[in-house]
Amino acid sequence: MTDIITLIQSAILIIVAFLVLLAAYGILRYRDDIENVIYARIHILGVTDVALIIALITLNAPLLAVAYFILVPFANHAVANGYYYGEEEQ
Amino acid sequence: MNILLISEYILLGALAIFAVATIRITTRKKIAMALVGLSGLSIAVATMLVLVQNIYDLAFCKDIATALVFLGPVGTIAFARVLRG
Repeated sequence: MTDIITLIQSAILIIVAFLVLLAAYGILRYRDDIENVIYARIHILGVTDVALIIALITLNAPLLAVAYFILVPFANHAVANGYYYGEEEQ
Repeated sequence: MNILLISEYILLGALAIFAVATIRITTRKKIAMALVGLSGLSIAVATMLVLVQNIYDLAFCKDIATALVFLGPVGTIAFARVLRG
């Protein structure tokens, strides 16, 4: 008989899998010629980031989850900032 | 078969599909789009490695996932600084 912790872990992992599939559909559904579509894609990837942080906590890897939770806002902001001041002006 | 193992396999499959989607984003024309795709790919592969460690008891996979989680966003930040100019 499976205990309640295992059931909760399994439910969280299945919910995370659903969110990841939803994000995979979301980043592919927009055309490239739409203006500022990169910001929409960064926004959609935020769903995956948070879902996978929860999955890492569930899989007994809290160090990876905390490290990624701290680092990923800086990375996404750097990409959006670099696009706004660099590539978009060209 | 254990229900936790089944859900881990489901997440592994979802992450494989997500990795293919991010690779498609990476091959687009703009450099920032490639950075976004690689950022998503790095966390997807890191989580897949943690899952492989849990399923098959391969301890070294977690070390690779740790390196990927720490170095992926750092590389993204460094390349975005270059992109900004």
